[in-house]
Amino acid sequence: MNWILQALNGFSLGALLFLLASGFTLTFGLLRVVSMAHGMYYLLGGYIGLSVVWFTGNFWLALLAGGSSIAILNYFVNRYLIRRTGENHLAQVLLTVGVVLILADIALTIWGGDSLSLPPPAFARGPIELPGNIFYPKYRFLLIVFGAIIGAVLWIFYRKTQIGAIVRAGVEDREMVNAMGINIDRLFTLVFALAAFLAGMSGVAGGAFLSLYPGAEWEILVLALVVVIVGGLGSLEGAMVGSVIVGLVDAYARWLLPEFSHFAVFAPMAVLLLFRPQGLFGKEA
Amino acid sequence: MVLRKWPLLFCAVAAALFAPLYLGPFWLSLLMQILIFGLLALSVELLLGHIGLFSVCQAAFFAVSAYTVAILQVKYGQPTIVAVPAGLGAAIILSLIYGIAVRTSGVYFILVTIALGHVFWGISWTWVSFTNGEGGITNVPAPAVGSLTITSHSSYYYIVLAVVALCVVGYRTLTRSPFGLTLRGIRESESRMRGLGYNIAAHKYTAFVLAGTLSGIAGLLYIYFNRFVSPANAEFFLSIEVALMVLVGGTGTILGPFIGSAIMLGLRNYVSAYIDQWMIVMGLIFIITMLWTPDGVLGVIRRLGVWGRTSHNQPGHRTPTPEEGK
Repeated sequence: MNWILQALNGFSLGALLFLLASGFTLTFGLLRVVSMAHGMYYLLGGYIGLSVVWFTGNFWLALLAGGSSIAILNYFVNRYLIRRTGENHLAQVLLTVGVVLILADIALTIWGGDSLSLPPPAFARGPIELPGNIFYPKYRFLLIVFGAIIGAVLWIFYRKTQIGAIVRAGVEDREMVNAMGINIDRLFTLVFALAAFLAGMSGVAGGAFLSLYPGAEWEILVLALVVVIVGGLGSLEGAMVGSVIVGLVDAYARWLLPEFSHFAVFAPMAVLLLFRPQGLFGKEA
Repeated sequence: MVLRKWPLLFCAVAAALFAPLYLGPFWLSLLMQILIFGLLALSVELLLGHIGLFSVCQAAFFAVSAYTVAILQVKYGQPTIVAVPAGLGAAIILSLIYGIAVRTSGVYFILVTIALGHVFWGISWTWVSFTNGEGGITNVPAPAVGSLTITSHSSYYYIVLAVVALCVVGYRTLTRSPFGLTLRGIRESESRMRGLGYNIAAHKYTAFVLAGTLSGIAGLLYIYFNRFVSPANAEFFLSIEVALMVLVGGTGTILGPFIGSAIMLGLRNYVSAYIDQWMIVMGLIFIITMLWTPDGVLGVIRRLGVWGRTSHNQPGHRTPTPEEGK
């Protein structure tokens, strides 16, 4: 019984991590941009969603507002800062850390240093009864469904549509796609906006079961990084499998080895580094 | 040009030796911090400037030696003579383990070291029974050998100065040795060095462990200076801050990390006296450095032609991208 409950916990954390890591990994795959701001986007999106819920009480509006405000913010960060670093990843990392520091200080002034949590929408409160007489928090269950839907939509978009084919071609060889007469800059803007939208939205979704507090931006970012390292940088399928693995390991470790739960999440990463440094779905570096 | 360097060096040594005579306690303690964090930044420089690997987990090695000393001295009542080698040993062991990171390169290496650094921070934070968690370990006694106890700030300053000077001399010897040349060869072209028969993995691993050891030494100096260690000393943020010191100062030189450390710590002391938003200022320094002065203060000086001759490892006077050399 407990095994199933913990698996559900793992899947719901995995769903959240997927929302964050898929954007990170696509941004890298296509744009060759490593953005440390992703964790901050999560936290800021959550805070903005929280304010929207406070004022309007509408959870869907909060999801939309959290996602789109971050997408707009990211447009400016990309246009005026990241674009200027070229493909120097070291510069990108330090530059985006600088952005995080500034945003974190602003967020601290607006929302304060206390741990805040977002009230889940009315229809998602209370427990849900699953087959086998299992009672589970409805919100977390819906989050798994939501994550699976987003995953499926992204996968279909990426693998089955024409835009997806162009994106994949862009990951393989950017110059060639450009030479074929496709406006790759517009495509980049689209993917970057989508990634930022997902990050902001995951903050709203995550704020309702993990709380929002200063410092959460790094904790969630590191988990997303582990997902990406395990799955392989630049691969959507890798982000799916990686987030499920990290979510499950985290849930079972919290239950079985509470003292070392912090440590356990990194074990799959260490194993992969030893045997397959490029990650499960990554290409040879 | 070479001749002009010696009087400068002589003046610097004299100024450093007599610092306790003319500096007040505040400035002396700032100077010690500059030396200690400069040494930590030098360990980042060893990897970044010579193999082009950007490590974001140096704070872990810094903190593991500080924690080992603090726990042995405070909780187990061991003397300095036991605690210091144990602290250094802990840093070496941790870097031997974390050395698996060198199996990756480029962006992967950055991401992996962020995660590895976070593991150690997590342990120092959650293993409350051993590390006291958030509160950290306080009241670390002054270093003592036999009956000799070093209590005064100015005598500890000489220890810091001597250790840092020794490390710098060792670092200089190492990077000018065939080993150091091989490292820079790997940075320039890994495939060519492999073709020449060099064991790339072993060289990277050794450099990583050496950098970890250097960070550990900085941690040892820090714990007896600060007498207190907390998870804040293991944070991702500290690793990033020292990396920025290297870039602010300029990569490719020994002086760069120390100049960067002096600028950052000096600025922090100055700015936090006036406003609370130190983080925003820090963020702006990150952005300004990366956008306009990617080769640091020394790079700017060099571009202005003041310095004349560049330092020994020519190609290092710009920020090497981790993707290069493939």
